[in-house]
Amino acid sequence: MPAKPIIVAGVVRGPGGEKLPQARVFIARGPVPVPDVAALTDADGRFTLSLPAAGSYEVACVAEGCAPSSAKIEVTQQQELRLELRLKAERPRQ
Amino acid sequence: MSNGALPATSADPDTAISNQPEVSVPIELAIQPPSEGTDSQAAGAADGTELVEGHIRTEAALSELFTAPATTLLRDIGEASFGPPPPLAETVHGPDDRIQITNTAIYPWRVHASLLITAADNSLWIGTGWFIGPHTLMTAGHVVYIKNSGVPGRDGWVKSINVMPGRNGSSLPYGSVTSSNFRTVNGWANSGDENYDYGAIIIPTDLGSTVGWLGFGVWPDADLLSAVANISGYPGDKPAGTQWYDHRTIASVNARKVFYDIDTAGGQSGSAAYRIINGVRYGVAIHAYGGATTNSGTRIIQPVYDNMVAWKA
Repeated sequence: MPAKPIIVAGVVRGPGGEKLPQARVFIARGPVPVPDVAALTDADGRFTLSLPAAGSYEVACVAEGCAPSSAKIEVTQQQELRLELRLKAERPRQ
Repeated sequence: MSNGALPATSADPDTAISNQPEVSVPIELAIQPPSEGTDSQAAGAADGTELVEGHIRTEAALSELFTAPATTLLRDIGEASFGPPPPLAETVHGPDDRIQITNTAIYPWRVHASLLITAADNSLWIGTGWFIGPHTLMTAGHVVYIKNSGVPGRDGWVKSINVMPGRNGSSLPYGSVTSSNFRTVNGWANSGDENYDYGAIIIPTDLGSTVGWLGFGVWPDADLLSAVANISGYPGDKPAGTQWYDHRTIASVNARKVFYDIDTAGGQSGSAAYRIINGVRYGVAIHAYGGATTNSGTRIIQPVYDNMVAWKA
């Protein structure tokens, strides 16, 4: 991690726009190795991740009852980003 | 020690630190044996890997596994991409070979614990730990001590970790226990050096005597490079609290890290990377990072081993 990591603050919303608590948010792709942890969103669906370096990332999100989703972002140093992830309803199994 | 406080020392990076009063323990051996705990009904193992019905590891050529990610379609950050998941996640290399473990109440699966981590700023995280003794679980350093997050109030010792051995979704066959007693080393807490990213959770009960633990040891490069590494843990991209297993030959090693193409995802930090010798399981690294081409763990070398022995006492 650099002295001043890049902060990504976001919120996860469900199919109806409702804020989703307990969703798992993690970095699925990055320009450098990243700690293999996942954040849980709080009661208001919020999360804050720290990115170790500038570059292209994919932030993934998984929540029960919803289809997994992800956002691809390009970040530069000294940035603080806002991200909103809206999940679709999970398709019923055939 | 309070959260965020660091010891005022320039000692060796492997010097152990704790948020509790420290106790020194004499060190004797280079291999620590496992225990299957009580009423184990242990699952069998063969040829360096676990025997898991239905698990087939695809051995594709590297050129087929690793393709450069497409960057031309990257969207603006305000346009978070919605819809179906990407076909490949970064820490899942090539085909996803992980298989779900459902009989988590038996050894060895029950030595792996789902972790719910409450950081100093009350943010919640998930990770994985594994028993090495009656009251000690190994995990990544960044699971017990958050470093350089850049988020006000987050850095330092985490507040607490809820340990759930052998969790299978909503089922907790051995209940859960909460700890606020942690260990890591100077190289992680003071420097944030990923080469020293390992730590331990000390729980207030001897639950490990029931669920058992993995052995661990120190092996030379050539030995590791011919070994298969096994990882089982609790990835965040699968149904909540479910345990998933994969294995693969170790890809490379350096003085302080072990690299492998075993599929992992966020939430598996702290998992054991272990080998199986004549049916006996030994940790060789503590999984900590997902990478663009390989994932990696902190290698158990002599100083790491020595700390683990002290922490399991």
